[in-house]
Amino acid sequence: MQMLTVPGPTALLYVLIGVTIVLIATIVFRPSLTATRGGKQLAFIVYFLLPVVVASMGASEHMERSKQTQFCLSCHVMNPYGRSLHIDDPTYVPAAHFQNARIPRDEACYTCHTDYVMYGSILAKLRGLRHVYVQYLGTVPKIIQLYNPYNNRECLHCHASARSFEEGAVHSADPSIMASIKSNQLSCLTSGCHDQVHAVAHLSELKFWEPK
Amino acid sequence: MIMSALMERRLRTSGTLIVLGLLVEALSLVRVHPLVFLGFMFVGGGFLIVGITIYLYSLVSVAEPPKA
Repeated sequence: MQMLTVPGPTALLYVLIGVTIVLIATIVFRPSLTATRGGKQLAFIVYFLLPVVVASMGASEHMERSKQTQFCLSCHVMNPYGRSLHIDDPTYVPAAHFQNARIPRDEACYTCHTDYVMYGSILAKLRGLRHVYVQYLGTVPKIIQLYNPYNNRECLHCHASARSFEEGAVHSADPSIMASIKSNQLSCLTSGCHDQVHAVAHLSELKFWEPK
Repeated sequence: MIMSALMERRLRTSGTLIVLGLLVEALSLVRVHPLVFLGFMFVGGGFLIVGITIYLYSLVSVAEPPKA
């Protein structure tokens, strides 16, 4: 049985762009068309409504694409961070999450480095604009650091309420530990428990996983 | 109804700019890269905004014919 293939948003966008261009070209070459009432309505649709719809859909598509791992790693300076996702050692938190598909591989950076707060996505995009500026017009710092200490909120977005987290021997050893983790007073990463992250300075000393 | 030459010219100008904006947008969908994203936003978006503004301006700036 043949499956029906639904066109993706990009294909739909191309169709809309094509139709809009053809209709605009018709009016550009025959502007007298807009002398009639119907022509005026057509002109309003193709000169205003369709371009606005196409631009909105395009912006939405680009926003989705900017979440992709490939997008983040397209800047040279990010390459070691991408490579660190392949470290062959489960104690490295990003590598273990990436290799075991605990996070979507095609949105690996975004999943852990967006703020899970209201407008977190928009803030991430604004930071991204600043990164592009620094990459092409500024000076890239030798050591790349987070703007703020990593917030447990980003880990708890997935781990909170998970049995392995809530009933974990260390997490639940003392009620005050769980409370400290959830209130971000005890950092998941820098308290000494899950402190192996990207390790970009030591990549040359590590083994790497090759996906089969 | 006779269309003024000025209106025709504005329709052509705005149409050309909107088409350029749409072509930039179409091209920007080919690759995934931060610079492509900026091109989409500032170059494509710029053409579209200017084109649409000229079109809207042409609508509100049509002079009334003098009354006899």
